[in-house]
Amino acid sequence: MRLIAYATIAVAAGLLCGAAAPSKMIYQKGRTFSEKLVQLKAGEPLTFVNNDSVPHNIYSLSDGNEFDLGSQKPGMITDVTFMQPGDVDVLCAIHPRMKMSVKVVD
Amino acid sequence: MHWRGQRSFAVENSWLLQSCFVSLIAVLFTVLAETKALAEALVGETRTYDALSRPETGTEALKQTYKRPGLIPFPADNPYTPKKAALGKKLYFDPRLSSSGTQSCASCHSPAFGWGDGLSIAVGDKMEKLARRSPTIVNAAWGSIFMWDGRVPDLEEQALGPIMSASEMNMPIDALLVRLSSIPGYRSLFAEAFPEYGVSVQAIKQALATYQRTIVSGWAPFDAWIEGDEMAIPEEAKRGFVVFNTKAKCSSCHAGWNFTDDSFHDIGLPSPDMGRGKFLPTIVKMQHAFKTPGLREITSRAPYMHDGSIDTLSKVVEHYDDGGINRESRSDLIGPLGLTEAEKSDLVAFLKSLSGEETTAIVPELPR
Ligand code: HEC
Ligand code: HEC
Ligand SMILES: [Cu+2]
Repeated sequence: MRLIAYATIAVAAGLLCGAAAPSKMIYQKGRTFSEKLVQLKAGEPLTFVNNDSVPHNIYSLSDGNEFDLGSQKPGMITDVTFMQPGDVDVLCAIHPRMKMSVKVVD
Repeated sequence: MHWRGQRSFAVENSWLLQSCFVSLIAVLFTVLAETKALAEALVGETRTYDALSRPETGTEALKQTYKRPGLIPFPADNPYTPKKAALGKKLYFDPRLSSSGTQSCASCHSPAFGWGDGLSIAVGDKMEKLARRSPTIVNAAWGSIFMWDGRVPDLEEQALGPIMSASEMNMPIDALLVRLSSIPGYRSLFAEAFPEYGVSVQAIKQALATYQRTIVSGWAPFDAWIEGDEMAIPEEAKRGFVVFNTKAKCSSCHAGWNFTDDSFHDIGLPSPDMGRGKFLPTIVKMQHAFKTPGLREITSRAPYMHDGSIDTLSKVVEHYDDGGINRESRSDLIGPLGLTEAEKSDLVAFLKSLSGEETTAIVPELPR
């Protein structure tokens, strides 16, 4: 019992430290992603900020890392955590010129 | 990260909590992932970003964003040459590119109708209706994706589509090459414009694309106003310009000097056509979404929309004021606007200022 409690505290502390480290940010002003390529560890969140004047719809169809944020309104922030190592193409469905890549490593 | 400094402590705190939560899930899933491959990326809770800068709304600042570009962009792998463009123009206006010898590109993209055809739905080689309205090709040089649903990446790729399509010009490409090669005038024009490949698929594509890139909307009263001539457009149109950029949100999609973002939106029209959704069936916002048309030469190419369902500019403005069908796919930028009657007629006056001086497009003499 005690062992489990210690283990929980240890994990929680670890998590807090992890959370305090800022995640990587992608901004979308002017209908462009602020980065063309980012590298992340699997499980590390990537934060998408819509600091533009129009809604965006970020998504990926890359195998194992599919997601669709739907319409993200101006002034909104959403984290996406990629779990599968590999190359992920991230696009905006509304604005086809918005494209970026995420390299997810083990 | 200076933007975070602008948040209240409470916001900061909840952000931290959320991050913890997300990381907790992330860790759990990482552990799980070792035993079982996961299907998707994880999406966290959406929260607000406080340091958002509001877009410029002063009229003078807005006007700066509508200046016409000085040069036409041509791609590096198909640069402009006068000979290519001249050949492309002949091909564009030549009905012999269709199997029946009656349809040219200009049948459906005609200078007489602002480079559209003035029909609600295009009519093909066998007088059959196509699925959608013929869009204008004016200012196509600045386009980054083509067709109402974006299925074509560039003008070179586009050119053969209508020629070979059974419902459009219905002309098998081999038969076209034979036909063009049998016309001495074309043989020499191809040889001069494309010494390396002569009469060929490659040359037809490049010539048609090059000619289309030279079709640029005429200098409009609106352009004169942007350049500083206050007398160029009526007061209603100036007020309409402000409504267009502010209350009516039109410029969120019809952006810049050519009035398009080259992007895809569902504006709430009742048509059953899924548009872009055909290629992105899982993305809700792409169902019923179509490419934003530019608004240059807009008065000469009614009726409007991908299905030609709205016949006047006043009715277009009524549609936007009403917001159309409220469904999940409809753009967040579309919805009841609460425009006054004066604002509506100002918007129409503004749209009318976007048509250029009458251009006397000279139809070329065709080779024999
Ligand atoms: C029978 C009528 C017809 C003929 C003939 C025709 N088109 Fe089209 N064109 C259309 C229609 C309809 C569309 C839109 C189709 C869609 O989006 O599904 C279109 C789309 C286009 C576009 C895309 C414009 C944009 O902004 O997305 C271009 C460029 C174009 N046509 C060029 C040509 C050329 C070049 C030819 C001759 C080789 C030609 N067309 C012949 C009807 C026609
Ligand atoms: C959410 C993006 C969006 C907004 C906001 C918007 N439009 Fe549009 N507009 C489009 C799209 C997309 C189409 C084509 C829709 C279709 O055919 O299904 C279109 C079509 C049009 C057309 C017809 C053009 C043609 O060639 O058929 C006109 C005119 C027009 N819009 C004017 C306006 C005006 C005026 C406003 C503001 C009151 C406005 N739009 C707001 C995206 C938008
Ligand atoms: Cu976008």
